[in-house]
Amino acid sequence: MLAELEHIDKSFFGVKVLDDVSFGVGAGEVVALLGENGAGKSTLVKIMSGVYTRDAGTMKIYGRPVGDITPREAKDMGIAIIHQELNLCSHLTVAENIFLGREKLKNGVLAKREMSAEAAAVLQRLGLDMDPDAVVGDLTVSKQQLVEIAKALSANARVLIMDEPTSALTAKEIDDLFGIMNSLKSEGNRGIVYISHRLDELKHIADRVVIMRDGRFIISKKFADITMDEIISNMVGREIKEKFPRVLRPRGKKIFEVKNLSAGASVKNVSLELYEGEIVGVAGLMGAGRTELTRAIFGIDPNDGGEIFLDGRRVTINRPSDSISAGIVLAPEDRKKDGLCVRLSVRENIALPNLDSLCGGAGVVNRAREMKMVGETVKNLAIKLSGPEVNAGNLSGGNQQKVVVGKWLARNSRVVIFDEPTRGIDVAAKVEIYNLMNELKKEGIGVMFVSSEMPEIMGFADRILVMCEGRVTGEFMSGEATQNKILECATRFEGKKSGANRAT
Amino acid sequence: MTGGNDVNGENRGVGARILAIRGMPQVITVTVGLAVIFVIFGMLNENFVSARNMRNLLRQMAPILIIGIAQSFVLLTGNIDLSIGSVVGMSCMISATLMTKGVSPSGAVVITLIACLLIGALNGTLVAKCELPPFIGTLGTMTIARGIAQLVNNNHNTDSIGEGARVFRNLFYYGEFGGVYSTVWIAVILWSIFNFILSATGTGRHIYAVGSNIEAARMSGVNISRTVTAAYLVSAFCSCVVGLIACATGGVGTMDAGNMYELYAVAASVIGGVSTLGGQGLLLGTVIGASIWSVLQNGLILAGAPVAIRNIAVGVIVVISVLLDIIVRKGKWAGKKKTA
Repeated sequence: MLAELEHIDKSFFGVKVLDDVSFGVGAGEVVALLGENGAGKSTLVKIMSGVYTRDAGTMKIYGRPVGDITPREAKDMGIAIIHQELNLCSHLTVAENIFLGREKLKNGVLAKREMSAEAAAVLQRLGLDMDPDAVVGDLTVSKQQLVEIAKALSANARVLIMDEPTSALTAKEIDDLFGIMNSLKSEGNRGIVYISHRLDELKHIADRVVIMRDGRFIISKKFADITMDEIISNMVGREIKEKFPRVLRPRGKKIFEVKNLSAGASVKNVSLELYEGEIVGVAGLMGAGRTELTRAIFGIDPNDGGEIFLDGRRVTINRPSDSISAGIVLAPEDRKKDGLCVRLSVRENIALPNLDSLCGGAGVVNRAREMKMVGETVKNLAIKLSGPEVNAGNLSGGNQQKVVVGKWLARNSRVVIFDEPTRGIDVAAKVEIYNLMNELKKEGIGVMFVSSEMPEIMGFADRILVMCEGRVTGEFMSGEATQNKILECATRFEGKKSGANRAT
Repeated sequence: MTGGNDVNGENRGVGARILAIRGMPQVITVTVGLAVIFVIFGMLNENFVSARNMRNLLRQMAPILIIGIAQSFVLLTGNIDLSIGSVVGMSCMISATLMTKGVSPSGAVVITLIACLLIGALNGTLVAKCELPPFIGTLGTMTIARGIAQLVNNNHNTDSIGEGARVFRNLFYYGEFGGVYSTVWIAVILWSIFNFILSATGTGRHIYAVGSNIEAARMSGVNISRTVTAAYLVSAFCSCVVGLIACATGGVGTMDAGNMYELYAVAASVIGGVSTLGGQGLLLGTVIGASIWSVLQNGLILAGAPVAIRNIAVGVIVVISVLLDIIVRKGKWAGKKKTA
């Protein structure tokens, strides 16, 4: 075992978040650490990497017992953690980031050429075609992720902890990442701890799974010896019957129509329709213009032409407040960046877009009405919180997503657009979000969602639109869609027969 | 959730409910600090707590509180207003020049107010519409406003604004009502109005939301440029009032009135717990921040400390109070991570 933790306890302010947890990672293996949000996975790996100190239990690194360690000491011992949110200096180059904090000096000045060469060597070892002198901020998120890995390797990390590394990557990029992980594994002297909510990825990389629930260790098993159903039921502590709870409704009248909408370089002449009683999924590769389409409809980015109709009437949308008052709302992809004011309370977040109806004549917020609205939203969506005054940023991903959606449902919206509604939230919360979308569908509200998860699109959408390079390149009813057909449309690049090589 | 009901607001005492207001713990921390400083100065010099000194202390504090309100509004939106001090100077010079040229005090006040609000509108346009970094945009208007202050009377301080302005001078500085100087009343009234706007109106909520997460606010339909401009207008208005107070105090227009006030305003705000990153802080905190500032100045003068010592003491307090806040918050941060 490279790193071994036994009987770890950890409490924050009297709340036990880790209770007698044991965990280890050996050389040459990839351990998938699984569990719902709040299960204690992140706390555990933060203890391994020195961010937190344990209350009780023992920790051995390379077989030697260690006391409380600092992040710096953990790093020096070869334990590297790659966080979900990347920790790179976006204004510095790849090489500068790789050597950050351990710069090489020659006669007291930076040995730039040496560092550049060494960075190039590491990148090459990873099979990456990347210029070490490129500025990190100019790279795509996936490339940045790989820079993090290169940084860890160049510092001779032997235990590599990856917290949800794939959540922002496309299928092709994920494949590349797994290739790199597998080749690192085969070198035989490194161990990788892998945290992810995407269970379908496990088959490509995991040797062993460790499942946690509610701060406790549940099970550790060879991946080959456990079924997906067992994994899920161990994670949630109960059986989840349907992964995608589909509700069938007859298709009703047309609610919403977009005609020939164009916006910048990313949305080209898009037309689409939404009907009562259906959920429309928008599929496509990263950069296909799906998020940009939702932003253009909602009025965040200016459009260069096109018409939008709601219930047959033309609506003009120049800014978000136009679409909100028309009844078209958007739950954006990046909750923390676009969806929530994380340092404001749940109450303030839910009230924010509804202040027009909550304010009296003099612009004064009616607190009684506000509390009523917030209380109803929290109840209807089963948002788990200790009270409406807690900061939105303190909630789990699933509950945050419910707040983002809930603030829109508190007003009578006609069309709700979701951009990646289940990204980064756990299995049980996903099902709750699906049920919520089903409720909207039953009420006759137009529902559209963008998703990069193929199973979700195929399993949940009644109708599927596929985008590529800003255009809609395909449309399928749920029964007739296959993964291959969708992928074929998603790679239908202009002027090329197949653009697989441009998929990055 | 079991045991969650006690934080839902229905079954709690008033104390617990006040504590639950976001930012209140910081305000209470600095209030304790204020009390400590107060007691120390009281023991050092018995004149400190005399009724006469208290009345003067409150009157010295009023302008600091008003510019503190100004800066707090802008800081809460996540921006900064460096033009505050220059607008104070501009207000002082324009009003005094007009009065020496025979314009009635009320007419002078109205014209001055319009001129100052134009600077506020310019700040809002540069920062919110043209998306200039607030530091740069208001650095520009800071210099422009100071230039205007110098220009209006041909680069000279004005003569006395004369006997005709007695009512004006009483209204802004020398008058009393209920044993309290009028300047203090102005500060109390302005604070009450702006605290109400910030805590109870939709505009106030928008100010917090823009400072907390501008993208989320935009996506929620908040008009960003209107909100930011509103904050800058409040700032310019408050600065204008302080300029009028300065004019009433000396009875002349001085070109360097309000020098450095923008930074004193930052100090009053941050000592009171208003975050320079936006979205966090209470106007009640600004009161405490302005109080600490003024008590330090007043107490140190009474204790016979030279200017140099006063400067050093104030600087140390600014750093300590923000440091304390960071330490308190780091403790909380570690706790928050349990949900991760």
